[in-house]
Amino acid sequence: MIEVVLNDRLGKKVRVKCNDDDTIGDLKKLVAAQTGTRADKIRIQKWYNIYKDHITLKDYEIHDGMGLELYYN
Amino acid sequence: MANRTDPAAKSIRGTNPQNLVEKIVRSKIYQNTYWKEQCFGLTAETLVDKAMELDHVGGTFGGNRKPTPFMCLVMKMLQIQPEKEIVIEFIKNDDYKYVRVLGAFYLRLTGSDTDVYQYLEPLYNDYRKIRRKLADGNFSLTHVDEVIDELLTKDYSCDIALPRIKKRWTLESIGTLEPRKSALEEDFEEEEDKEDAEQLDDGLEDDAHEKDYYRGRSPVRDRDKDRRHDSHRYRFLCTDSVQLRRIEIMIEAMIGNEDAGETETGTGIVIEKGKEDRDRDRDRDRYRLRDEKDYGRDRDRDRDWEGRDRERRDRDRGRRRSHSRSRSRSRDRKDRDGGDHRKRHRSSISPRRRDGAEDNSTREEAKKKKEKKEKKDDGTDHPDPEIAEANRLRASLGLKPLKV
Repeated sequence: MIEVVLNDRLGKKVRVKCNDDDTIGDLKKLVAAQTGTRADKIRIQKWYNIYKDHITLKDYEIHDGMGLELYYN
Repeated sequence: MANRTDPAAKSIRGTNPQNLVEKIVRSKIYQNTYWKEQCFGLTAETLVDKAMELDHVGGTFGGNRKPTPFMCLVMKMLQIQPEKEIVIEFIKNDDYKYVRVLGAFYLRLTGSDTDVYQYLEPLYNDYRKIRRKLADGNFSLTHVDEVIDELLTKDYSCDIALPRIKKRWTLESIGTLEPRKSALEEDFEEEEDKEDAEQLDDGLEDDAHEKDYYRGRSPVRDRDKDRRHDSHRYRFLCTDSVQLRRIEIMIEAMIGNEDAGETETGTGIVIEKGKEDRDRDRDRDRYRLRDEKDYGRDRDRDRDWEGRDRERRDRDRGRRRSHSRSRSRSRDRKDRDGGDHRKRHRSSISPRRRDGAEDNSTREEAKKKKEKKEKKDDGTDHPDPEIAEANRLRASLGLKPLKV
């Protein structure tokens, strides 16, 4: 289990517990459940890399305690 | 400002029509090249040409969520607000399916409740294929009637939150809308007549024979029959397991948890009550056979009958409740009488119980055991309450529990 921090820099910052073999899509669902924003309206990125839904956190080398950028669309 | 709304446009739901599209999607549309190149200065007439060129529907796609041309045209229509007649012509035209979907979508966004139902429901009979662009940029195949169904029953489509409309049956009960006529209506009536004639013969045949007979029946007639027997039967249709579980619990609470007329779970729940006489028992067996076989097909079809079924269900609710109360009383009596009734009851159940001829109590036990096991699996009994909570959430989303 790892914990990642997602920050939208507009006042929303969530810590999410997840497995490292969860996909980004799963992570979005978890964030959606915590924040109340639709999962398909969430975009997770790091600098200019927009993370794709079907790829796992492990493959993006997301580790425990890492921060990700949360955007909406 | 090219992106201004037509000054003559009426405000819809108390605001600028363009606000029906969320801010983020809206700005994405304004930035889009298709919008800038093709949608500039369109009028209601020239928009038709662009609509005819459409070859897919969809909301936004790709990493940075580009809007589809379909979305751009919806936006343009919101901007120039074509007259209602034009929109209805869009919907009525038979040659261009994407124009039709575009018109339907626009009407769903801006039209009144009755208009939405009145003009969109006939499109349930349009089975042409439609290409839809998914969020990841791939295409998938769907049909006009599916899109229409989504518009009428969901609150979200093509990355746009659709305005709420009243449910069909509320409109029907107010009297602003006629009950829906299905395109299959006439066929059913014919069948019904035919069946009435045949039913006289049915009564004479014995059980075993009848079972075979029913197995071979056409699904149409089966369902038709079903509809008529609905007065002492509820059927819930749901795919979502969480929802299913919830309904189960509700039902258990309602009928006091111990049932001779049993609740049955799986993809469809059948609850039967008030079985005093043999006749009804036999009826139920018939349903079971049918449910098992025809469930999937049935569900699709049921959509057609939804309005009607619901109405009937509502009507029955009152009657039902009193029914169940009287039943529980009669059950007590039955228990006092001894196992006689029950034995008979059990023996009549046979055909579906392949897996277990055990009675209800053992079945319930098995269910409980299963639940306990599940609990262990999904990690909601974790000592750390935070993790247990997270696991509960994950289970509800259909994800595996956290690895610790």
